[in-house]
Amino acid sequence: MQRIATTVRLNRSVLQFDDAAHARLERYLAESTSLLEGDPDPQEILADLEQAVADQCIRRLGPGQIVVTLAELAPALEEIGSVQAPGDGVAAPSATMSREPSPRLLQQFSEGAVISGVCLGLARYFRLDVTLLRVIAVLMLLGTGGAMVLVYLALMLLLPHAPLDPGGARVRWLPARCRAFMQYVRAKLGVDRPGKVAA
Amino acid sequence: MAAESKLAPIRKGLLEFLVLKIVGAQSIYVPDILRQLAGTEFATQEGTLYPLLSKLRREDLVQYEWQESEAGPPRKYYRLTATGRAQLAALDDYWNLINRTIADFGH
Repeated sequence: MQRIATTVRLNRSVLQFDDAAHARLERYLAESTSLLEGDPDPQEILADLEQAVADQCIRRLGPGQIVVTLAELAPALEEIGSVQAPGDGVAAPSATMSREPSPRLLQQFSEGAVISGVCLGLARYFRLDVTLLRVIAVLMLLGTGGAMVLVYLALMLLLPHAPLDPGGARVRWLPARCRAFMQYVRAKLGVDRPGKVAA
Repeated sequence: MAAESKLAPIRKGLLEFLVLKIVGAQSIYVPDILRQLAGTEFATQEGTLYPLLSKLRREDLVQYEWQESEAGPPRKYYRLTATGRAQLAALDDYWNLINRTIADFGH
């Protein structure tokens, strides 16, 4: 006696595959599974693909033929194609979520700033609590007899402004003035680095 | 052809729009969607369409219901949700707008 076929359940259909076709099928499904890594709902897609494979194979079976061979499976898989993740389509706002993390930049943040966002920028860069940094800045201001103001002004001039969040960033009056003024000064001095000071 | 590398992402981006249009016209199952796209620039395969439909369903743009078929297992028939209909209308408007913009330049 010889085993000639494996019975496989593909979603809602049950089919018999010979060894070569069975191996090819397992490879295709394993490939699909790994290509769907990161998809929030791979089970549903895999179930749909299994059904597609089953339907395609059944359509290709000759009259009286029970066992699916590579002759049916290979063209079926060819027609179904390998899994393609949906691209950044016109209607895919979720696609922007998966952008690569931006590199850590030393910059000043107008949004949420008290004066110009220098402390906020330093806090984000060094991953410190911004209040702690502001306290340190005020203490240094008092300790240095006001010389800290110059350091702050220098940083205001040197640190590029972080781009504002699209769709209405909330910037208070003083940081907004500081931002506009520093951008004006930079433009005058010609130290404006294109790309860094995005509006 | 050098232009092809620029056309491919355009087609890929527009496929979603087209699928919304097709599903918006009638309740339809995947092999019929593929048949409509076959022979156009947007001909595609199940391996592409199922992940896309799954994404659209998660975004609540399409939904499906099972329908019995005379032969074989029941089929998933897709149709637009109210959100999907609104988004399709917005995409349609935008598409017409950029079409006019593109046509207006270069004269």
